[in-house]
Amino acid sequence: MNKYNPPRMNPSSLRSRFATRFLRTLSKINAQKPTSSSSPTEIFRRYRRIKAAADKSMAYSVRSRRTWSRAMLWKLRTRPCGRRSVKTSTIIKSREARKTRHEKQNKNTTTTTTTTTGEDGVVFGVEADELRELVPGGEAMDLYNLLDETAHYIKCLTTQVQVMKKIADFYSP
Amino acid sequence: MDVGEKDKYELEKRNDNGINYQGSGMSSAWQFGGGSLTSTPVSLVPSDNPLVIGSASGSAPMVDSFCSNLWEHPANSQNLGFCDINVQNGASSSNAIGIAKGSPASMRSSIDRPFDMGWNATSSMLPAGILPQNLSQLPADSAFIERAAKFSSFNGGNFSDMVNPFGIPESMAVYNRGVSLMQGPQDVFAISGMKSVSGVEYQKTKLIATEASGDACLQAENRTTQESSLKNDRRSESLVRSNEEANQRNGGSGNESNEAESSGGVGGQDESSAMDGTGGEPSAKGVSSKKRKRSIQGAEIDQAKGSQSPVEAAEDGAENQQNGDRNQSTTMNKTTTKHGKQGSQASDPPKEEYIHVRARRGQATNSHSLAERVRREKISERMKFLQDLVPGCSKVTGKAVMLDEIINYVQSLQRQVEFLSMKLATVNPRLDCNIEGLLAKDIIQSRAGPSTLGFSPDLSVGYTPLHLSQPGLVHGGLPVMGNNADFMRRTLGPHLTPVTGGFKEPNQLSNAWEDELNNVVQMNYGTGAPSDSQEVNGSVPSGHTKVDLRS
Repeated sequence: MNKYNPPRMNPSSLRSRFATRFLRTLSKINAQKPTSSSSPTEIFRRYRRIKAAADKSMAYSVRSRRTWSRAMLWKLRTRPCGRRSVKTSTIIKSREARKTRHEKQNKNTTTTTTTTTGEDGVVFGVEADELRELVPGGEAMDLYNLLDETAHYIKCLTTQVQVMKKIADFYSP
Repeated sequence: MDVGEKDKYELEKRNDNGINYQGSGMSSAWQFGGGSLTSTPVSLVPSDNPLVIGSASGSAPMVDSFCSNLWEHPANSQNLGFCDINVQNGASSSNAIGIAKGSPASMRSSIDRPFDMGWNATSSMLPAGILPQNLSQLPADSAFIERAAKFSSFNGGNFSDMVNPFGIPESMAVYNRGVSLMQGPQDVFAISGMKSVSGVEYQKTKLIATEASGDACLQAENRTTQESSLKNDRRSESLVRSNEEANQRNGGSGNESNEAESSGGVGGQDESSAMDGTGGEPSAKGVSSKKRKRSIQGAEIDQAKGSQSPVEAAEDGAENQQNGDRNQSTTMNKTTTKHGKQGSQASDPPKEEYIHVRARRGQATNSHSLAERVRREKISERMKFLQDLVPGCSKVTGKAVMLDEIINYVQSLQRQVEFLSMKLATVNPRLDCNIEGLLAKDIIQSRAGPSTLGFSPDLSVGYTPLHLSQPGLVHGGLPVMGNNADFMRRTLGPHLTPVTGGFKEPNQLSNAWEDELNNVVQMNYGTGAPSDSQEVNGSVPSGHTKVDLRS
């Protein structure tokens, strides 16, 4: 093993936080692996678990600072219980979380989103819904916060992809 | 406006010349006839006929109405105002205050010019004993105008140049009081005038006063009942008193903000007070006066506003969203606090939680449209930020296309995460325990993230080795990814635009592919496991065989 000390990144950055958490979870999953590794169902199960671990690690790295992380954590927590109810409960929970913080904002912005004249309302009505589906917890957000969350979500997703790619590259010689 | 402008000057020169002008002095002038008036060199002799003087001033109909109103008001009312203002201001030159207070605000502006000399002459009759030396020193009309112009353009208080034996503070006080007394409901400027007495901004006071006088003239035209104006005077007194205290409390740090707040408060009070038929006018006048003031104060505020809206958007953020409806409910406050907020935006943090928006010229000042405009600006700002974040969006214009790009980018990122987790699920069996420590170090320390910008070449690069070295893995991944295999092929296919091609492709894809992508997304994120399990089950046989090959 060659020991080298390359310049260290910020230890508390999003990337390092996610990487440490994800690797920890990955090692845990790998520890369970040796039993049955080749069946596709098992692979699929592991895939699901790894994906959930990745999402959970990312959400935990962000804590509850962001709506999407909260929604994602909620979804992951309640996933084993029932999948049909997850989405609705996610919606409900995120809506409640939003309402407690920005009551008037919801009223205002949701109404204005639908009633905005000009190209704003017409354009954003369609694409905004698609974006809401993509971003976890985006169903109960107004357009402005939705864009905000999307920006942060994109940033976290790119970090996630980078780290996972590095891991995968490392594993596959 | 010309009349207003002229009256502005009249007010100035009248005030800077001293205390003598106003109120009860006027009535006494009429009462005393032209005897004392003739002592002045001014050609205008108001004693004879108010109509004449009215015509001389160029606003005959105005003067007619106001002169009649003047007669309607007995001297006692003026005396009352006189006493009130004396109490309020408590200066040596309380006479002027009393006089100014007593006279109807509207009248004074229009009658100022012709009555200058008359007032100066009659001021000697005042019981308070105004200094008579001012009277003799009154120059001609044209000289007054010149001085008024000079006065308005002065920065510091070079009042010594004026024909005013009084010290600067007194003259300023007189001037301000005169302005304030003239105001009536236009206490905005009164307060600013009062405030600047204690403050330092003479020029601002001048501007405000000139505008105030102009506004008072404008209002004078609309005023029909003097009783209401008197009521306003009384009210303005109390308001001025309270606002003065507030101003002293606030200090001179944020003059504009103070003025805005006090004006907002006054505006609110004025609105709440039941003014007969003139209640709606102050708000309208306030808006118009604000606009005029804006034209006077010009580009400075425009720049402040221009820099303020993004700053505010950045600063306030969610707070603005919270106060959206509150903003709408306080239209008056918003319009009146516009300039104040912008003036003090750099120095003071937002004292109130209102969104301070300035209505640009030619734009609606409706609260709803203002809130919408703020919202649109914020959204466009967010879109610009996202444009920087999403690669390849710099040349895309238009919100719809931008949003589509963003959606595609997020979708592709999510699919990448899925694929990588799938890859990790299959690759992991070969993991050693020691590798993890190194791996962690390597990942955390590695800075290079080419995938952020050009994930498609990475994907393509990553895919080809997969195809070559790990066919089993690829096929193992395919059944789950399903349509993602098509996505991989697509990314591998066109290498023309490696950086942007990856997620730009969906734009070039046919509608069928779009539907496919959407289905993929929905399957992956919407419904969850059942569809995935179906996918796996459906393709298990093929995957199974391939995996067997691999193993």
